Amino acid sequence: MQEATFLILTALAAGSQHGYGILADVSQISVGRVRLRAGTLYTALDRLRGDGLIEVDREEIVDGRLRRYYRLTDEGSTRLAAEAARLQANARAALSRLGPAGGVAT
Amino acid sequence: MSDREDLERGYRRLLAYYPREFRHENEDEILGVLLASAPDGERRVGVAEAADLIRGALRAWLRPLRQCPLTVRAAVRLMYAGAVLELGYLATVIATEGSVRSAILARYPGLTAAQWHLVVLAHLLPDEIFAPVGIGLWLWMAWALGRGRYWARVVFSVIFGAATLSLLTALSQSAAIYAPADLAVGAAMWLVQAAGVLLVFSKPSAPFFQPNPNARFFRVAGSRP
Repeated sequence: MQEATFLILTALAAGSQHGYGILADVSQISVGRVRLRAGTLYTALDRLRGDGLIEVDREEIVDGRLRRYYRLTDEGSTRLAAEAARLQANARAALSRLGPAGGVAT
Repeated sequence: MSDREDLERGYRRLLAYYPREFRHENEDEILGVLLASAPDGERRVGVAEAADLIRGALRAWLRPLRQCPLTVRAAVRLMYAGAVLELGYLATVIATEGSVRSAILARYPGLTAAQWHLVVLAHLLPDEIFAPVGIGLWLWMAWALGRGRYWARVVFSVIFGAATLSLLTALSQSAAIYAPADLAVGAAMWLVQAAGVLLVFSKPSAPFFQPNPNARFFRVAGSRP
């Protein structure tokens, strides 16, 4: 799973969000390291909807513009949980091999 | 004209590169996000934002429609695999050119140099010319099938029929001339096409291919939650 996909799914894990909310949340989750742009976000959202990992929760009209809220599907939650567990196991293995110094050269 | 209107016009110009179906479904929403993300006083679309939108448009064109059934998605993936195989076939034909030349010489020992040259050209040139065309056809089919174009299934069936005839001819007449690797790649491409035909003519795929694309498009758009 690509990092952008992982972060978008993570942004939706706590509840439904609209596009701008996802952009802001992805930036916050990654501590400013990943800043998605609208073109990337919407092609990813379209793909994730096609793959059945997310779905539209509701639509609102705000200032005359459509605002669509997205949420994780059960399949999306399962895939995110599996990916998070895989990353956690990898990180644990790396940290344990680095030893107590955590990889800092002494 | 205000800064925002200038900026919105710039964004709309870039969003026009996206496929119609994608625009119909997402344009208004993307515009809202783009304008909300833009700094105050911004009048022109930034280079990074424009590059991101163009990249997104390219991806949207290459990918099947979101409403595409899983069977058609699988067929589209097969079309891309076919394009890769076709490229492999072209490479194989070029790489095995020497063995084809020797096989022709062994099979027709009495040929003059000019005749031998003509026979070699007749065997190799069509492959070397049509393989790039074939790559284009695979990609075109991937695009058309993924968008549910009504005619795509018909065109694909015709291409499959032509490929079947071509493979049978190669097996019956020229198997002794073509290198086994050429025939193996040709047969693999035929199998990919056969699987593609089965998938696009399967029952779950049928509703996606409507005679009138507008009818399908508006039915799908109207059925969104």
